[in-house]
Amino acid sequence: MAAYQNIFTQVQLRAAPEMGPPLPWADSARDFKPWYSDLMGAIGNAQIGPFYLGTLGIASLFCGLIAFEIIGLNMLASVNWSWVQFVRQLPWLALEPPAPQYGISILPPLAQGGWWLMAGFFLTTSIILWWVRSYNRARALGIGTHTTWAFASAIWLYLVLGFIRPLLMGSWSEAVPFGVFPHLDWTAAFSIRYGNLFYNPFHCLSIVFLYGSTLLFAMHGATIMAVGRYGGERELEHIVDRGTAAERAGLFWRWTMGFNATYESVHRWAWWFAVLTTLTGGIGILLTGTVVDNWYLWAVDHHYATIYPDTGVVDPALLPGAPK
Amino acid sequence: MALLSFERKYRVRGGTLLGGDLFDFWVGPFYVGFFGVTGLFFTLIGTALILWGAALGPTWNPWLINISPPDLRYGLGLAPLREGGLWQIITIAATGSFISWALREVEICRKLGMGLHVPFAFSFAILAYVTLEIVRPLLLGAWGFGFPYGIFSHLDWVSNTGYQYLHFHYNPAHMLAVSFFFTTTLALALHGSLVLAAANPGRPGETMKSPEYEDGFFRDFIGYSIGTLGIHRLGLFLALNAGFWSAVCIVISGPFWTRGWPEWWTWWLNLPIWH
Amino acid sequence: MSRAAKHLPLILAGSALLLGGCDLGKKVTSQQGYRGTGIQQVVQPSLIPVAAAIPPEPYPASPDEGPRASETYQNVKVLGYASTDDFNRIMLSMNEWIGTGEQGCAYCHNPANMASDEKYTKVVARRMLQMTQNINNNWTQHVHATGVTCWTCHRGNAVPVYNWNKGPLPGDPMKLAGNKHGKDTPLAVVAYSDLPNKPFDTYLNTNPAVIRVAANSPYPGPKDTQPIDAARGTYGLMMHMSSALGVNCTYCHNTQSFRQWSISRPQRANAWYGIRMVRDINVNYIGGLANVFPAYRKGPQGDPNKANCGTCHQAQSKPMGGYPMLSLYPVLKGPRSGQKIAQPTLLTPAAPNGEDMSGPGQQIAAR
Repeated sequence: MAAYQNIFTQVQLRAAPEMGPPLPWADSARDFKPWYSDLMGAIGNAQIGPFYLGTLGIASLFCGLIAFEIIGLNMLASVNWSWVQFVRQLPWLALEPPAPQYGISILPPLAQGGWWLMAGFFLTTSIILWWVRSYNRARALGIGTHTTWAFASAIWLYLVLGFIRPLLMGSWSEAVPFGVFPHLDWTAAFSIRYGNLFYNPFHCLSIVFLYGSTLLFAMHGATIMAVGRYGGERELEHIVDRGTAAERAGLFWRWTMGFNATYESVHRWAWWFAVLTTLTGGIGILLTGTVVDNWYLWAVDHHYATIYPDTGVVDPALLPGAPK
Repeated sequence: MALLSFERKYRVRGGTLLGGDLFDFWVGPFYVGFFGVTGLFFTLIGTALILWGAALGPTWNPWLINISPPDLRYGLGLAPLREGGLWQIITIAATGSFISWALREVEICRKLGMGLHVPFAFSFAILAYVTLEIVRPLLLGAWGFGFPYGIFSHLDWVSNTGYQYLHFHYNPAHMLAVSFFFTTTLALALHGSLVLAAANPGRPGETMKSPEYEDGFFRDFIGYSIGTLGIHRLGLFLALNAGFWSAVCIVISGPFWTRGWPEWWTWWLNLPIWH
Repeated sequence: MSRAAKHLPLILAGSALLLGGCDLGKKVTSQQGYRGTGIQQVVQPSLIPVAAAIPPEPYPASPDEGPRASETYQNVKVLGYASTDDFNRIMLSMNEWIGTGEQGCAYCHNPANMASDEKYTKVVARRMLQMTQNINNNWTQHVHATGVTCWTCHRGNAVPVYNWNKGPLPGDPMKLAGNKHGKDTPLAVVAYSDLPNKPFDTYLNTNPAVIRVAANSPYPGPKDTQPIDAARGTYGLMMHMSSALGVNCTYCHNTQSFRQWSISRPQRANAWYGIRMVRDINVNYIGGLANVFPAYRKGPQGDPNKANCGTCHQAQSKPMGGYPMLSLYPVLKGPRSGQKIAQPTLLTPAAPNGEDMSGPGQQIAAR
């Protein structure tokens, strides 16, 4: 069955580069000559660029670069400035937040979390500036700001993890370290400390939306590719002027599961599932340690913790005459 | 039953894999087909057995209903119904049901003249399920390695199975899978936002925008726009990889690696190039 | 040639490379919890450690008759209640247990004056005998009737293979260069994870930190609450325990709730006593020998090499697979009559030149 499955573009077209819709004001920020990549052209647009740099963009990238450098140089320092050990141990290296004894002091000693705080500050600034940029770019082009609000949901989770929750707990040490393996250790330690996060209902919700988002994009991506022969990827056109691609796509799902979305509404399903992932996730993190200290015990209280046969083991510390 | 305004012309004969015209009809909006019948059969059996399993248990609390696989000592044999046999039959029913659903989707695609991308994608999810409940237990020699059917009990299985490898986050395939899950969600947020933004400019009376504006936004924003077809290829690719590497990460845990997952990384630490 | 066939050699080579590092073949599996909970051990047979062959007894024990060792020999402070023959039997076996090699008895004794305490090894050995009695009498909640002998830790080595000391002095905590804050380093002690890598000094030595980190109630309370860092530390200790016993976390825990005892296995209670036993050993027995050991038997900070879980267990859930070696040498517990010996007084170890070197660091305390 050697039929074309719409995976890779067979014939790539080249024309004059698309410089984008005009901006409402004359702006030199888009002065980047686009170039073409055959590799990218095989799956999507071949054109790379132009790029709108702008003041906000420059500021954001600059802050981001500072954060990156602080993190990287701290990691290099921690292996005594050895480049060999830096590369070898890189997945294990970290820039750790301050120890618990420093509470939420404004600037702990540099080697005791001060650098972490600074890196966090610059990274947060970079992200917020990038977020404002997403708003400005949308407004300049006269399109909706949906990207900005979706981005806000992700920033919510980021801020909860690194700023809001540590503030409420009164300790920077509760925040996540920078580092590949270290941030995974933090995740495991967080769940161990707070009584198994699987029993946090907002964690459940967040996972439902995470897996649901993946399911939705598989469904939606596959559906559009399946009607590619009818121009199905032309979503905006189908929204206002439904063609046979939209009709077949909708009927596929209607006949499969009894209902269907439309070309516009599927993107609302998509937006909400993705946004709710980080929104509920952030709530779940925020409630941990502040409102609930042990999610398993909370689940026992609320009658949804699985009950396994009692093993008969008792806490030795409670037995009379127990050693300390 | 009421059809959509444009639906009648699409309700044609044909596209079936098995059974010809025998089951080629609709019930309400649902297409039946041969695999609709088999799917209904498996689903009814599986659901009935789940209800029976719940009845055998101590509670009807939906969070606590739990149907467990057999003890390891039954190996790959059939266990007594109340000692895990129910779980085994439910697993067979589920697998049959999922495969029927996928093949029914194939029939619907053929009827509508669509590519088979959706059932192809769904087969990755089915493979992940089959890996967890059939392949891995087969490789380890006992059905008892499968996860139980219960909302919170299956999470206890995930937790304990993960800790069998001391720190499951260090599993490289798990890292890949998680990264793909998060990236898929990011891409979905971006794609949903972009289409809605172009279609709903937000200012009252403003005209809806065209795909040139979609490309324009992303080129301004990050210097590249993958395009309307590309984003769907990318989204499908990311989502399928999430499922694929998930299946890989669990099938290697046990059958191909028995130690703690952090220890796996010693191959990197011990490379001769670090003199 | 199809694209797949063209790349076949590369695919095969790649697969061989990837699979080469794997644990292939049939696994040894066992279940320790309710079915479907995932409380299981999956072990690669080739990775199961083969412990050194347990040395057989030199000769069968004679009946408990005749003069006591304290009557026959001079300066017998610990095993005086044993018959002379039992005493000799222990001394003979010690050669094999500690691996004295060609030196034989001269490893601890001056052959011209067997009673003399001039060699530090004899002073240490005496303390070790007291430690062994302590373990076999007062820590039966951990060692049960199986008990321990010198072989359990030493396995034919003067210094047990699995030991630890505090390591070099920590650097200036305010310095950046080379400062990993005691974590984020791939080390075998924490099974190559990133976790805090000084679990023994933190949890198994003087002033041990609290191991329990999860809260006792669903809601935050005023009682001292543990930071996330403490959970990382405990996790690191658990990594050691796992490697030391050759088991995974579910051997003791149902990770639905690490803290909950009613869903944990009896092994967890056993381990609870084991932790306190190791602290007793390190603080009250080995730690007190700091002034006796020469520098080459101590760490850079001058602390002796101490014990952890691996010292006895050596990657087996029961040391030596649970072989009850003590039953062949019952005098390592007490008189064969079964009469309980008095709580062994912790004798202040004399320095090799005979002077009393007691001072700070000597702990005379019941546990």
